[in-house]
Amino acid sequence: MVTFNDAVADLLGVDGFSPLVEFIVGIVGASIVVSVMLTIIGISAVWLKRKWNARLGDRIAVNRIGPAGLMVMPADALKLFSKEVVVPEGVDRIGYKLAPMLAAATVLAAFAFIPFGSGLQIADPETGLIFALAFASLSAVPVVMAGYSSKNKYSFLGFEREVAQAIAYEIPLVVSALAVVPLVAVFADTSAPLRMSNVVTAQQGPLLGVTGLPIPNWFIFAQPVAAVLFFVSILAEFSRNPFDLPEAGSELVAGYLTEYGGVNFVLLFLAEFAAIYFGGALFTALFLGGGSGPVLPAVVWFLGKTFVFYLVVQWFRATIPRVRIDQLLEFGWKYLLELTFLNLLLTAGILWVVL
Amino acid sequence: MSVVTRRHEELHETIEDELPDAILDFDEHHNAPAVVANPSRVDDVVRILKQNGYNHLSSVSAVEYDNRYESVYHLRRITDDREDFDEINVVAPADPDEPAVETVSDVFKGANWHEREAYDLMGIRYDNHPDMRRILLPETWKGHPLRDEYDVDQPQYTTLEAHANPIEERYEVENDAALDTMFLNIGPHHPATHGVLHLKTVLDGEVVVDVDPDIGYLHRCEEYLCERLDYKYQIMPYPDRWDYVSAGMLNEMAYARCIEDLAEIDVPEYAQVIRVLAQELSRIAAHMLAVGTFALDIYGELNVIFMYAFKDREIVQEMLEDLSGQRLMFNYLRLGGVAYDLPEPRDEWFGKIRGFLDDLPGKMDEYRSLLEGNELLRKRAEGTGILEPETAKEYGCTGPVLRGSGVGYDVREVDPYGYYDELDWDVVTYDGCDNLSRVLVRLGEVEESARLVEQCVDILESWDGDREIQSRVPRSITPPAETENYTAVEGAKGELGIHIVSDGTEKPHRFKIRSPCFSNLAVFSELAEGEYLADMIATLGSLDLVFGEVDR
Amino acid sequence: MMGVLRSLGVTAKHALKGDTFTVEYPDESPGISPRFRGTHKFSLSRCIWCRMCEEVCPNGTIDIKTNEKREGEEYNLNLGQCIYCRLCEEVCPVDAIILTQHFELNAGTKAELEYNMDDLMDVPWYKGMDPLEAREPDRGAWIGTDEEDDVWETAESTYAD
Repeated sequence: MVTFNDAVADLLGVDGFSPLVEFIVGIVGASIVVSVMLTIIGISAVWLKRKWNARLGDRIAVNRIGPAGLMVMPADALKLFSKEVVVPEGVDRIGYKLAPMLAAATVLAAFAFIPFGSGLQIADPETGLIFALAFASLSAVPVVMAGYSSKNKYSFLGFEREVAQAIAYEIPLVVSALAVVPLVAVFADTSAPLRMSNVVTAQQGPLLGVTGLPIPNWFIFAQPVAAVLFFVSILAEFSRNPFDLPEAGSELVAGYLTEYGGVNFVLLFLAEFAAIYFGGALFTALFLGGGSGPVLPAVVWFLGKTFVFYLVVQWFRATIPRVRIDQLLEFGWKYLLELTFLNLLLTAGILWVVL
Repeated sequence: MSVVTRRHEELHETIEDELPDAILDFDEHHNAPAVVANPSRVDDVVRILKQNGYNHLSSVSAVEYDNRYESVYHLRRITDDREDFDEINVVAPADPDEPAVETVSDVFKGANWHEREAYDLMGIRYDNHPDMRRILLPETWKGHPLRDEYDVDQPQYTTLEAHANPIEERYEVENDAALDTMFLNIGPHHPATHGVLHLKTVLDGEVVVDVDPDIGYLHRCEEYLCERLDYKYQIMPYPDRWDYVSAGMLNEMAYARCIEDLAEIDVPEYAQVIRVLAQELSRIAAHMLAVGTFALDIYGELNVIFMYAFKDREIVQEMLEDLSGQRLMFNYLRLGGVAYDLPEPRDEWFGKIRGFLDDLPGKMDEYRSLLEGNELLRKRAEGTGILEPETAKEYGCTGPVLRGSGVGYDVREVDPYGYYDELDWDVVTYDGCDNLSRVLVRLGEVEESARLVEQCVDILESWDGDREIQSRVPRSITPPAETENYTAVEGAKGELGIHIVSDGTEKPHRFKIRSPCFSNLAVFSELAEGEYLADMIATLGSLDLVFGEVDR
Repeated sequence: MMGVLRSLGVTAKHALKGDTFTVEYPDESPGISPRFRGTHKFSLSRCIWCRMCEEVCPNGTIDIKTNEKREGEEYNLNLGQCIYCRLCEEVCPVDAIILTQHFELNAGTKAELEYNMDDLMDVPWYKGMDPLEAREPDRGAWIGTDEEDDVWETAESTYAD
């Protein structure tokens, strides 16, 4: 697989670009990815979420503005952006204003490493997976900034929870993701198994040992335990139900978001939804074969899978109660951590025996 | 001589033997005998009664007379045996100029809040009370509004000094330990308080060290209002507004029972069946809301249990609308009966109810698998918010809160009224004493109510006698002067009692509402202290508080 | 874990079924039961100015002004204050004040909710529903004896809108 720049170069029939052109093309690619993601997030944050939740709860949800209520998106955006930006008295102004921008920026930047397929990948460094996971952890920083600078006790409790949670679930997240790396090395036969494009390439063929049925070689089948552990860690890392403690609505009002409104709120809100999609994209790339699938172009498959991931997350949100902070930490440190390491060791052991 | 009468006579002797100087007189109230006690020794009298099995202090009510104030205590025996149920009242007359009565809050902890209310509204000071503050009105309020002399038009100016933040002082950092804690105001506008409750909480990390509920934000002078309306019609619309979330029929029954008892009005059997039907539908709707909002507190805002519960509640409300004409503020009961016969065509309406009852078991299975069966919910709700049965009785908790602690006290069962005695149903108890038990009691009660509704529908469908919906009621109802009555019914949240003191006119002299939520909230700090913040919120949800009823 | 999966199954079942309960108001009007108590309608031709409604109203919503000859001059009703208990309709011997099923009520200011006689007479019937058909109030309880019962019956037959 190739990065966006290579794909463009291929298309134009040139061997490569000068650094300046490379930069410009990179910017173009980034803006394409960002606008695609923003559209998707816009759709899901204000429309799909309502529709899907309504469906789970036997309701109809938005259906007045435009066909199936789709025009609620521009309406909502207009409303939110036209709101006055209120900065409460006594807040740490720099942190308070910087946090939303940082939150949106880090999450959107993380999409650079995601191999959307069809040549849509901005950067594909040799350590792409590690970069992506590093950006995932970075999402806790703006939350801390927002919570601390708000000078509100609910925000304070929210960010404290976020810190505890991010630390507890960081290691399981990385380790469960690492469980696929040996498989990548084997299936893609590469010396750079952390490269995101290689991770996807490794999942293209049919699964070993299964004849007849064309079960794809997605790592969710080869590494089901890791997939479940990774899914749980993603939920916790990005604070989704049942781990949405930093903003637990019924306890902390809105957690670290309490003091935000207008554009600042939009950015934080957007970052949250982008984080779910980033989690979904990581999960798709690592366990669902990236853009692999018949007929349709790879990028459509990829985005489709992330949508499914999003729907599942919302489904969980509607059905599963929020855990308590001590239960969350206990689960993270006492069970998830051990299980992920055990899984990694088992994977390595089995591969060592087999090969 | 019945058991109860014999017990009363023995009791008279016991009290007179042990406390000769504490007793002033024996009196007879409409509901039970009353002991008139020396106001400075009333705690000893109540203690003796408690030792003799009167283990439930229903309410403390304050009454003003021309020459004295009275603090009236309504005591009940809670046992599993219906034969053993009994009531007794204690009256402590107090000086008209500076009314002071000894506190009984060291005998019954639940008296603490009741006495604060009596102090707040009537101005009776309770000596040796641990926390003699106002409870419903602001601390800067002038005057005691239920007194006759109180001028409702007097302005309530508050100087700036008086308005200094009272909390600031109280929670000043005094020692090193206080530096480790955080004071947090939860409410009065907070998503989990289901209305307007202010919890002054002290947190140590995530653990609640101290919590002090501050109520009164929804105080609407319901007692004062009822004292200015006539018995026959005007009071009836107001009970709907105490526990305003669909429990209206039950509240109306509380008033109807008290005044029908006092004025000796009969209710035709047909109307009684309709009343039970209406009440139990109301109870289903109220419990659905309780279960849904409990889920809301534990799950967060986008959970489906809340939606399913509200959907089912909506079906019940439509039936109640067909019956009474309104979804929440029914005003359906009348003294001596109900306002209308069943809606025509009757078969269609019965069909609606039967359709709902047929679907109900499937729905209850869903609720059970979403709540009881879900391990994560069990992890959250089991073993949290522990309310020991002894503590519950001490504080006068009733309803699903008490039954969730394994005490089977249900007014419908021990002190039957209306048509309940003729029907076949069970009291639901769970002995987990925790948040989950309280919710499961409500789910169980929905099923029991459905059983009752079904029986009522059967009876009404095959009714071939006279459809008399109201008995002949005297044109004006004037109970003789200075008669008192305290009766209670099983409201959606517990023992909803009414204490009426008449003065020979068409309007009550004193109209006291014994709200179950009030007592259930009083125990809250016992439940929440030492729990995690999240569990405190869940506990609040499991108590199922409606602030219209707490603050009245 | 099985319980969690079963819960997920329950919600998934609901999502797949796709039944909805929402009433798409105002496209679709909600089912209003015949006994529903909505905005009041007043009939000047029926009213005998007996002031019973004013008397019974629990919170002084109704304000009637008459001249020295006890002829009616004003009939004011503050809808913003009304608790819709329907006692005025129940007490009225001639059905001069009726609570229609009309529930769509809005106003920009509180003052707009203070209806006078003309406003009250202009309140439309809700979908032609006659509220009295479904309600059979026991007026005997109000009037007391049997001879007086026919007062309102004759009145009802005499005055027809």
